[in-house]
Amino acid sequence: MHKTIQIAVREFVATAATRGFIVGILIAPILIAVMIFAMQKLLTDKAPRIEGEVAVIDPTGKIISGLEQHFKPESQSKRREELAERIRDAADELPQALQTPAAEGLSQSIQEQGIDLLIGEGPQLTIVPLEDDADIEREKDRLYENGDESPKRLALVNVHDNAIVPSGPDDSLGTYDLFVAKGMDDRVEREIRSGLRSTIVDERLKNAGLDRKQINKLTTVARVASVTVTKEGEGETQHAFNMLLPAAFMVLLLMSVMMSGQMLMTTTIEEKSNRVAEVLLSAVSPMQLMTGKILGQMCIGFLVLILYSGLGITALFSFAMLNLLDFSLLIYLGIFYVLAYFIIASLMAAIGSSVNELREAQSLLTPVMILIMIPWMLWLPISRDPNSTFSTVLSFIPPINNFVTILRMATPTPPPFWQVWLSIAIGCASVLLCLKFAAKVFRVGLLMYGKPPNFRTLIRWIRLA
Amino acid sequence: MADAIRIEGVRKAFGRMVAVDRFDLAVPQGALYGFIGPNGAGKTTTLRMIMSILFPDVGEISVLGNPSALDAKDRIGYLPEERGVYKKMRVGAFLRFMARLKGVTGSNISKSVREWLERVELADVANKKCEELSKGMQQKIQFIAAVIHQPDLLILDEPFSGLDPVNMRLLRDLIQEQHERGTTIIFSTHVMVQAEELCDHLVMIHRGKKVLDATLADIRSDFDPRAIRFEALDPKADLSHLAKLPWVERSRIKGSTGEFIVGKNLSPADAMKDLMKHEPAAKIEVHRPSLEDIFIKIVADSGEPISDEPAGVQTDA
Repeated sequence: MHKTIQIAVREFVATAATRGFIVGILIAPILIAVMIFAMQKLLTDKAPRIEGEVAVIDPTGKIISGLEQHFKPESQSKRREELAERIRDAADELPQALQTPAAEGLSQSIQEQGIDLLIGEGPQLTIVPLEDDADIEREKDRLYENGDESPKRLALVNVHDNAIVPSGPDDSLGTYDLFVAKGMDDRVEREIRSGLRSTIVDERLKNAGLDRKQINKLTTVARVASVTVTKEGEGETQHAFNMLLPAAFMVLLLMSVMMSGQMLMTTTIEEKSNRVAEVLLSAVSPMQLMTGKILGQMCIGFLVLILYSGLGITALFSFAMLNLLDFSLLIYLGIFYVLAYFIIASLMAAIGSSVNELREAQSLLTPVMILIMIPWMLWLPISRDPNSTFSTVLSFIPPINNFVTILRMATPTPPPFWQVWLSIAIGCASVLLCLKFAAKVFRVGLLMYGKPPNFRTLIRWIRLA
Repeated sequence: MADAIRIEGVRKAFGRMVAVDRFDLAVPQGALYGFIGPNGAGKTTTLRMIMSILFPDVGEISVLGNPSALDAKDRIGYLPEERGVYKKMRVGAFLRFMARLKGVTGSNISKSVREWLERVELADVANKKCEELSKGMQQKIQFIAAVIHQPDLLILDEPFSGLDPVNMRLLRDLIQEQHERGTTIIFSTHVMVQAEELCDHLVMIHRGKKVLDATLADIRSDFDPRAIRFEALDPKADLSHLAKLPWVERSRIKGSTGEFIVGKNLSPADAMKDLMKHEPAAKIEVHRPSLEDIFIKIVADSGEPISDEPAGVQTDA
């Protein structure tokens, strides 16, 4: 035991004290910080305002004035204000993060910038009325002929005769044709469409003798945020949080398992290719060596886990959302980390001991990588439906059961207790199996140099050991 | 005295390749044994089995009174042929780590590391990373790692390979010193001269089988010198008539020099007198067989071809 601990301590120090590890562990938080900073900077840079003219052929004679009114800067900014108000209302349903006093100043400015980005600055459009009998073909040509002249002709609108008053044999209402210049901004098109739609509807309502304001009032129902009722009291439902928490837990688990597993493989290959392995084997048994290395790297994984979940808890605390986190989940995270880590680590140790250099490990590593990627692909279906048959079955299939179960536990509808413990039991059994397999490969592989093995050779080694 | 190592009927095969076959050996405590044999003879496999790094398919091995070296690892020092160090680790830390793995405890670890480094003239490298050292320096560090816990049994696999003559002598002195301390030592080499210089007992392995197991003195008397080297005074002399002398068993003549193997019916001394009677000599001597000659003779007698790389010809040590 004493020797195993010596090996573990060396493994931990040798890994944690390298520049690569320290940089690697800090890079994620730094990247996130840089992203937030850069986003803010980029968001303040606005796109240039688009200017141009829209030619309109209006046989009904009622559209032009409405459109001109619609594109007046005053009415544009009024609409913009209304839209911003609606977005702000929607944003209020996001986590309290954006409303707590601590984050008030910051979130206010981010919100305004976000609204600016969403709406953009409205294009400045001038309406050019054309004669009813204007030559459409000639006017269309102007959409691509008008090289550098300013203001640029951006679109041509041909309103149908029956756009407002129904006519024809079946009494139908007509619409309009829209011709645009090549490469026109889709926001401009949207603006023209909404202008036309609003003007045409207004005129139609007027024609039918209805009051637009009245209709708007009657057709609007205010949207409200839902309220979650718990034993402790009532609170706003945290949709985003409920969705993100399971993902955060699974990412934490995957990240720590991957990081320590990879390191274990690297150090094993290093020991083998440096030929330290045999020196070590003269002092300890292969089993002691492997156990020591696995334990040492397990502590590395725990370090990553504690560091990142600590960051997460600090973030939750600063947004006053700590009450949303069930702390028993952290304990389960620890349990599932150990289970998932032991499985991946034993595979990594087996791979590391059987190849001569990192390059040769690739082909053996691919299946392990696929195993690790599966939970990523399953995140959405499982977190949407954490108690479906699909999710339940997956939480009993090793080695992904560990990832799936912690994912399900972090959702608002966690699985029943027995499922969690059955998954843990299955995890324990598969850990024992993997360790046994790894120990055999490790013992034979560590002193085997030469051609890198394929899976058939590995099986032969297991029989040999 | 009890045997430090006892090997009985050991066989080890890797797939269809039999590395060691029907191997018996007893090494008494305090002895200095040399394992010789060409590359691929099975020396390293045998040493690894003694260390319980590999396990025999058939047969028994007991080490320092234990059925397996695993039970006595802390009393054994081992310098493997494939040696390595942790490249990024500092020399002092590496040696302290190895000492702890070997069961050395307490505060004297640092002190003995420092003393050993001074012994091998590397006192200033304790804080350097292992990768900064030359190959020869690394080898000396390796040797320290093998002896720092004062083992009762020291197993050295090709300890001299890659060393310059100065360091080779230093290492030879260190091995000798361990021997005088009472440590049982086994070392392997494919360079016969080294074995001849250092060992008092030799075990020769060829194709996985033990072909010789005797003290150096016994080997010399068994392979008693019967070759006479002769150089005629007259450089133009024709020596072909000497080959026809009745006691000559075999001869090899090249111009005015020749080598004559004396038949069983005459002593080498009388043969020399007889030669000088027939032809005046510039030089005449009894040629003592080197270990290399003995090895080649044994292999030739066994009727098996020598391995691709002839023994004792390597000059890398």
